[in-house]
Amino acid sequence: MKTPSLLAASLGLALLAGAASAANWTAGMTEGKVALKSAGPITFGPDGILFIADTKSAAIVAIATGDTKAGAGKAVKVDGINTKVAALLGTAADQILIADLAVNPASQTPYLAVTRGRGAGATPVLVRVKGDGSLEVVSLDKVKHARADLPDAPVEGVQGDGKKQSNPRQESITDLAFLEDRVLVAGLSNEEFSSTLRAIPFPFQKIANGTSVEIYHGAHGKFETRSPIRTFVPFMVGKEPQLLAAYTCTPLVQFPISELKPGAKIKGKTIAELGNRNRPLDMIVYKKDGKDWLLLANSARGVMKITTDDMVNAESITTPVPGIKGTKYETIEAWKGVEQLDKLDANNALVIRKGEGDALNLESLPLP
Amino acid sequence: MRWRPALAGLLFVCIADALELGTNSFAAEPPLPSPGFTAVFLRWVSVPKETNRLTVEVSGLSRDTLSALQAPEWAATNWPRLLAVFVEQPGTEPLSMLGEHRIESGLLRFVPAFPLEPGLRYRAVFDAGQLPGAPSTTAGKVTSILQIPVQRERSTTTVTQVYPSADVLPENLLKFYVHFSAPMSRGNIYEHIRLLNAANQPVNLPFLELAEELWSTDMLRLTLFIDPGRIKREVKPLEEIGPALVAGQRFTLLIGGNWKDANGHRMKHAFMKRFTVGPPDREPPDPQRWGYQAPPIRTREPLAIDLAEPLDSALALRMIHVVDESGRAVPGQPFLTERERIWKFLPQHSWKAGHYSLVVETTIEDLAGNNIGKPFEVDVFEGVSKRLERTTVKLPFELR
Repeated sequence: MKTPSLLAASLGLALLAGAASAANWTAGMTEGKVALKSAGPITFGPDGILFIADTKSAAIVAIATGDTKAGAGKAVKVDGINTKVAALLGTAADQILIADLAVNPASQTPYLAVTRGRGAGATPVLVRVKGDGSLEVVSLDKVKHARADLPDAPVEGVQGDGKKQSNPRQESITDLAFLEDRVLVAGLSNEEFSSTLRAIPFPFQKIANGTSVEIYHGAHGKFETRSPIRTFVPFMVGKEPQLLAAYTCTPLVQFPISELKPGAKIKGKTIAELGNRNRPLDMIVYKKDGKDWLLLANSARGVMKITTDDMVNAESITTPVPGIKGTKYETIEAWKGVEQLDKLDANNALVIRKGEGDALNLESLPLP
Repeated sequence: MRWRPALAGLLFVCIADALELGTNSFAAEPPLPSPGFTAVFLRWVSVPKETNRLTVEVSGLSRDTLSALQAPEWAATNWPRLLAVFVEQPGTEPLSMLGEHRIESGLLRFVPAFPLEPGLRYRAVFDAGQLPGAPSTTAGKVTSILQIPVQRERSTTTVTQVYPSADVLPENLLKFYVHFSAPMSRGNIYEHIRLLNAANQPVNLPFLELAEELWSTDMLRLTLFIDPGRIKREVKPLEEIGPALVAGQRFTLLIGGNWKDANGHRMKHAFMKRFTVGPPDREPPDPQRWGYQAPPIRTREPLAIDLAEPLDSALALRMIHVVDESGRAVPGQPFLTERERIWKFLPQHSWKAGHYSLVVETTIEDLAGNNIGKPFEVDVFEGVSKRLERTTVKLPFELR
């Protein structure tokens, strides 16, 4: 969902670092069949490398798609993409769930993380949209890939050497992004109410521990709260890479990425509150008219275009901040029913949004 | 290389196998039979022991034709035009289903990548005009339609338990766990869940509606968080529309009967959990206040711990451990009684006299998400430094 291009362009250091290791992104990958148990959020790294969050396996899988040829930069419009994916997979549209959309920045090719079926035996499938709008299942039978198992694997429900029982704990991955040489992963447990954000170095090490941090955001009053991150995006504020995270309880929080250290407890700064009935879905950042903007899709308000003017270097809250009214935003009325959002290129976004009836349409829209 | 498949005239026969699928229908457009020419059969064949796994077989193709289909000149992109399977969906353009074409045992086979779905119609199309070397005038297509029967509805799945099981729940309750008797289906689950107020009116958006849907791996348990925006003080949703649960009032958690299980069957019946809401709980659980009842040694009587308040059911079962004097885990099975207020531990072997400890992870939660030493909401300007940083709390006890 998140493209690293903005950061790379803005941060000379990142560019150098990227160039130095560009040839090595597939180092340590093995070629063979990728066994996915599920396909949640997806995002692209450099050189057409796709990261897939496999929640059921508690793992992030990186695959080298080999899809690195620059695309034609054409407008995209595929109506009823859910029906078409269903036909390709030999099923009905109501048996298809599209978990995420990501555009490969190397080729401008849209990729979809799809689940066929709704029960325990549901099958994850990766689908891409070709230049002519036709759909193609990405074969995972023989592909270069690497895998990072998420640490802190849940303990078994039965203690000691007692009989093993199936363990109901699972950590859902709510979002992921690639930044410089790390995969950032936000997780949400189906038991503890906590927010974990991990930074896993890439290429994955043999034991990809990553770092787990606990993030608090000072609300505009005096309470600090822990809460799961719903969606996030790396973003430059001045020369400092920041993470903008939308929380499940609606604040939009900013904190410096440099604070992401093992075991750290980070306090973020609330820069906006989306308010009631807003389930943040997806975010992108882009440049227009010499300014940086944040575009946030959410369940109730449609798409919000948010100025980054107020996002000066975040500091930890040490004194009570009286009622932050929040950063200014504008609701993009024309963008109704957006469920998935990514950046297609410098001037266009790609969305999946509700069409007529149960149809979901994939279309490119000029960035507002 | 030149090939000369025998294509001048073909007899097409379409057979829909008498599969164990109930009614099969088939349709074909066979050209006029010309005695003396090769007969080509198109049929659906079920894969033994696998539900709704079928392949399409084309038999009767000449050896030359089969060789031509294996030759390097035959491009992979030609396959779907020669033999393909389509889901019959009215009003949409047909897109061929993903699968693999194989030449084996003198047959051309199409193996769909996925099982076929109950209730859907599938059309297999073989187009002889697409065979290598076929003259454009070659008569065309053979079609076979297969209807996969709809499963008989068997509504047997029920909600077996909702935790917390207490009848009085705190106003700042953080989550429910809904347990089902059989695996459920994912997707749009919030359509089937309602929180009703005392007037039986649905509370507007009480839950944290996550597209990820927090299921256990076996799809038997759903975690339902109350929208934290309506629990936390000084965040906008709470200020704008107030809490989802209000102290002193009665509520009902309703799980609708139209929710389908993993096999696509509706639930046996709807489920209701009625409860009263009490005051908010902002006190962290305190193990120093826990009591225990020691089991007699040389028995397998359970050890019983009174937790002083109900704790989160899943976490209480996972985060409380019994260790012996040397710190080794005592094998056994924990379970909860008295509406998750009493934690019991059934040892695998008889208790021996000696020193034991209860080890509790501090991330355990009560019903409002308070941790040991850390309330759900921390007042950042009062007493943060006193916050407990340890990850476990040890409570020693002795059995004599």
